[in-house]
Amino acid sequence: MVIKKTCIVIIAISIAAATSILAQEEITGLKIIENVYNRPTGKDVQADLTMSLINSRGDQRVREIKQFSKDFDKMEKKIMFFISPADVRNTSFMSWSYDEEGKDDDQWIYLPALKKVKRISSDSKSDYFMGSDFTYDDLGDRHPTEDLHKLLREEDVNGEACYVVESIPEDEDYMYSKTVTWIIKDKWIGLKKEFFDEDDELLKVLAVKKYEKINEYWIILHTEMHNIQRDHTTKMEQKNVEIDGGIADNKFTERMMRRGLK
Amino acid sequence: MKCKNRAITWLFLSMTLITANLSAQSLEMTGYARNYTGVLLNGDNEYSIVQNTFDLKFEHSKGKVAFKANPYLYHYIDRDLEIGLREAYLDIYFDSIDIRMGKQQIIWGKGDGVFITDIVSPKDLREFLLPDFDEIRTGITALKADYYLGDNTFEVVWIPVFTPTQMPGENSMWRLTPDFPIQPTFNYSQKEIKGNLENSEIFIRYSALTSLVDFEIMGGYMWDDDPIMHVTKAVDPNTHQLSSLIVTPRHHRLSLAGGSFSATLGGFVVRGEGAYYGGKYFSSNDPSLADGVVEKDYLHYLLGVDYALWDIRLSAQFIQQTILDHDDQIANDEFESTMTFLAGKDFLRETLHVELFSYIGLNNEDALIRPKITYDLADGFEILLGANVFVGHEGNFGQYNDNDMIYSKVKYSF
Repeated sequence: MVIKKTCIVIIAISIAAATSILAQEEITGLKIIENVYNRPTGKDVQADLTMSLINSRGDQRVREIKQFSKDFDKMEKKIMFFISPADVRNTSFMSWSYDEEGKDDDQWIYLPALKKVKRISSDSKSDYFMGSDFTYDDLGDRHPTEDLHKLLREEDVNGEACYVVESIPEDEDYMYSKTVTWIIKDKWIGLKKEFFDEDDELLKVLAVKKYEKINEYWIILHTEMHNIQRDHTTKMEQKNVEIDGGIADNKFTERMMRRGLK
Repeated sequence: MKCKNRAITWLFLSMTLITANLSAQSLEMTGYARNYTGVLLNGDNEYSIVQNTFDLKFEHSKGKVAFKANPYLYHYIDRDLEIGLREAYLDIYFDSIDIRMGKQQIIWGKGDGVFITDIVSPKDLREFLLPDFDEIRTGITALKADYYLGDNTFEVVWIPVFTPTQMPGENSMWRLTPDFPIQPTFNYSQKEIKGNLENSEIFIRYSALTSLVDFEIMGGYMWDDDPIMHVTKAVDPNTHQLSSLIVTPRHHRLSLAGGSFSATLGGFVVRGEGAYYGGKYFSSNDPSLADGVVEKDYLHYLLGVDYALWDIRLSAQFIQQTILDHDDQIANDEFESTMTFLAGKDFLRETLHVELFSYIGLNNEDALIRPKITYDLADGFEILLGANVFVGHEGNFGQYNDNDMIYSKVKYSF
């Protein structure tokens, strides 16, 4: 009887181990990137964003933004209020991004000097955001189907077990020839990312400096993007992050663009 | 006038002092200091303008109420010190309604640099169309109410006291001398519009911002911001020659309805704006008219497109004014067409901005070409070098052919 029980336990453990091995074997580059893309971050988020642009001489320019975003049915709405520098204060920017593949974002900008909300065409995903080292694509969610993903290896970074995934864009004219991302296994956070230019030379390195669990969600709080070729760095820090705080739907309207943070 | 200036100076200083005391109560003070120097290119290299500006914005909000005051000061080397209030208003926010009362700039429409439905705030044309857009609009004392329903806005503006366009002064290089056969006598007795309820102006607007298109529909019952010159002629019965001319500037009532839209088509943003003006007066040479003016309705509209190509922002607009039931005696053309072009590009991580903007008058083959280059030396500190080049000899722009200039603006924002 004891032997029978022991056999059952051994078989069960073996099945579990085999399942685990199979599960590990089944993980693919695409699946890892999809897990990162689909990592839940809450229904609505608000945060104070500080962006520091640092050139090779160490000169620093700081941009401060208050941003709000919320998931709606089939779209995500985002609104940003620029706080500094002084000459862009009270400028606001709103975008509506659609889940529908191929549908361009709608974007508006409010310029306080013009006192006008202007519809603008969607920025090219390859444009740099406010003179920083981040393109709009680097900041946003690049859809996993836009690249071919390959799991290269697994290794530890800063004590975290990571998958290392190479992503090659389907579009040959895209600004990066490939990216390599180190993704924390149990958190689905891209801890480090290398960007290679069209000549396959290393262009930029993104490093996540701080992340935290807020309301059960893993949130990236501090990142640094270093442009190796130009020796220019952008630090991006999020503070006062509030998740699922219940941002009103009317936050994402022309009315609020004009009113600002009042 | 001196009294008024003294009062505003006092207000200016008081607000500055109050700011220090209220800083703990989150009174927000922003603004800029700027030097603007222009040099004419007409041979003598005279200064077209040397202006030092100090512009302050005080804002405070507390729950459902807020206020803003925007005093400014212009110091010139050759003119009196000018101190004024660009805006000073109170806001009250309800769930679906916002109320704004006080002196305010109200900007409508989707056109750029054109005034079609954007006629609520009158213009300051003392320096033609050259000042920045927030300086070209005159704040008006008004009561504005906005009702919001989702992404729809219903707006009503009541302006109790009429404010006309500010025209260039006597000795200004921007002042146009009307062409009369003999020296006229000006009668300004009817130029003033009395401040009473009957003479107030009202505007309404419905606007919506949607994923497909943004649009506005508006209407207004207003005074024409620009006076028309009623000309009474007297003829000497003996010589049958013109013996006297009496010119009486008068503002007339206008009613208008219009709208505008803006939509994205692929990588393009397409914009349109149009308005029907009823009751506009035009100068006429028709000898049967007693005072040289005739009332005609007219249309004013534009179609524009914005596009980005190789990181260059491009924009073009076609604008036309059409006088309905036009006759050949009217001084203005039946159709007056203008185009605008804009090209702009940022360099050096958005610290160097290069821009070329131009108005082109198609009727008279004239133009105003405005290249400028701006460098952000530090955050909030910018240096601008630009030129205003007038092409042609007649028309809205060609008539200022002698006023070509280069200029610099050095601005520190805080």
